Amino acid sequence: MDHRMGNVSRMTVNERKFIETALLNDLRIDGRRPFDYRPLTIKLGREDGLSEVHLGQTHVMAYVTAQLSQPYRDRPNEGSFSVFSEFSPMADPLFEIGRPGESAIELGRVIDRGLRESKAIDVESLSVVPGKYVWAVRLDIHILDNGGNLIDAANIAALSALSTFRRPECTVSGDDGQEVTIHPPETREPLPLIIHHLPVAITFAFFNEGNISVIDPSNHEEIVSGGRMTVSINTNSEICAIQKAGGEGVMSGVVMQCMRIASMKAADITKEIKNYVEIFDNERTLRKVKRHSEVATLEVDVPDASMNETSQLHHITGLKNHTDLIPKSEPNTINQVFIGQASNWDPYSMKTSSHLSKHFVASPSTLSPSHVDRVVETISLPKLEKNQTEDSTMDNDGVISIAVETSSVTKTKNMLTLKDAVDKKRKMKKKMKMKNVK
Amino acid sequence: MEVKSTPSQQPNLLIDQAIVPGDVVLHLSNISTNKIKLGLGLRQDADTIKATNMGLLKHSRPNKYWVESSTKRYIPTAGDAVLGIVIDSKPDNFVLDIKGPNLAFLPVLAFEGGTRKNIPKYEVGTLVYVRVVKANKIMNPEVACTDANGKSAEFGSLKDGYMFETSTGLSQMLLSSPTCPVLDALGKKLSFELAVGLNGRVWVDASSPEAVVLVSNSIMNSEFLSDTQQKIMVKTLLKKIEL
Repeated sequence: MDHRMGNVSRMTVNERKFIETALLNDLRIDGRRPFDYRPLTIKLGREDGLSEVHLGQTHVMAYVTAQLSQPYRDRPNEGSFSVFSEFSPMADPLFEIGRPGESAIELGRVIDRGLRESKAIDVESLSVVPGKYVWAVRLDIHILDNGGNLIDAANIAALSALSTFRRPECTVSGDDGQEVTIHPPETREPLPLIIHHLPVAITFAFFNEGNISVIDPSNHEEIVSGGRMTVSINTNSEICAIQKAGGEGVMSGVVMQCMRIASMKAADITKEIKNYVEIFDNERTLRKVKRHSEVATLEVDVPDASMNETSQLHHITGLKNHTDLIPKSEPNTINQVFIGQASNWDPYSMKTSSHLSKHFVASPSTLSPSHVDRVVETISLPKLEKNQTEDSTMDNDGVISIAVETSSVTKTKNMLTLKDAVDKKRKMKKKMKMKNVK
Repeated sequence: MEVKSTPSQQPNLLIDQAIVPGDVVLHLSNISTNKIKLGLGLRQDADTIKATNMGLLKHSRPNKYWVESSTKRYIPTAGDAVLGIVIDSKPDNFVLDIKGPNLAFLPVLAFEGGTRKNIPKYEVGTLVYVRVVKANKIMNPEVACTDANGKSAEFGSLKDGYMFETSTGLSQMLLSSPTCPVLDALGKKLSFELAVGLNGRVWVDASSPEAVVLVSNSIMNSEFLSDTQQKIMVKTLLKKIEL
């Protein structure tokens, strides 16, 4: 007895006949009209460059990452962009792990073509050192649940992920212009990709020998359909890609009508994507505001680390100040720079553990060069008390950034750190110490 | 399963409550009757009865206990009426998919007045309403298109209409008596034909495609709605096609 997988979706003759009969009356089995999309939800926000899309029952996830790499020989000034798609077996019993099947490859190709050929992503801006270092952007698409029309859902996920992706900023320095410094997100705000337009993929399914077309086919409709066509189109009604792989023959008039409908739908979908991305961007800026409440800015003059070709990529030992992170809505704080006295607070004399001092270090000039290699993060400090700020020009809503420096560290005032806010005992100790100092 | 026990009686507080695997349902020392019949989802463990399935504990007088649960897959049980899809036909039987772990066999003669001369022609993809005759863990289940007495009793292939898949719990709700509210509300305004398989498959047929689409979508939506919610949902949907 051949024991095929019991949970493969099997279609009955009744279903096939009914789907086609209903379509003759402009009715689809889930109650939609022929050119209605299923409800679309885009979830952004867990990470930059990560998006999850629900299109009806279809669930797709896209993730964008970037890495510095060598460019192609014939295009030394351009970054690279590649699409990888994974059809997880949890999406559909017909998907198997291992080598991607035909539909997986088709999906990856259609999305890739829509973005690459139309030059939606500006690849020239991705080059860092022409001929040597360029950003290679990689888009991974994971299919989590197959409810039909994977190409459209995956494309929307890809566009949202690309719109919210941020790559680290890097600067080129050095005598021969070959040394590249990659700044961590704490130092310099990561940059978005330059996207010229959003090519939206719209899929049509054909029935009744190409006479009836429907948009956004569900799983059952796809199985029963005689043919499928995907059009990638943007809001300027420019066609970026078309895919019609086999299936029933379709009259050219029907194809033109589908394209006209596609351009209308593309406008709607682009608007939705932009709305979600905007909400995400706003939340992002709000998050930054929360982090930097009620603290002073600190200007520290720190040389950035340089990277030789042979050394590691991320050997960063210094930071610039963070004034560029402050939102523009608080103009008072931006130019307020606080320069105070050298601090006598030495983490090592107080016997803090080294990993703690990583997180919130004032930078006394007494620090020796050996304590350089620390990752420094921006922190928010509690409000300083009045009696300590006599000579400070600090504003309550500024930003503080503290650096550990190799040699030329400038002064910091003896400030309360985050740890003190948390640990009252330490605060008391510190107060005592400062009183003694004064 | 039968168990002996000493007389003493206490009302079982878990009846009609949700239980999970591992819950002790009965202590056999507390039971008055001599025999207890255990149905699906219960197992004897020394002197207690424990649940192995998740669901509601049900009891019917005087001594039957079972767990009612809703799953997307079907465990074939003898006596159930299910909807199967023909995937193959062999000389001796048709091979059906009934949403269970194994494919089911429908002998070609298992019809009322069935002889070698009048074997029905079921092509691949035919939907058939059958009754499960034999089912156990190790063999492919056997089904038939007759009831226990050999009469055809509405079993057989279903023509036209539309079939959709749901959970077993919804099928049980549709078959419960008194009629569940969603079918009641639909029946008042529409006329349609319905075949419910206990394996989670439901077939609907009506005069117009709109009615079929409406009935199927209302049933699919009604699984987790309360009685009043079901009525309201049906009312809203009926308004859409102006009924």
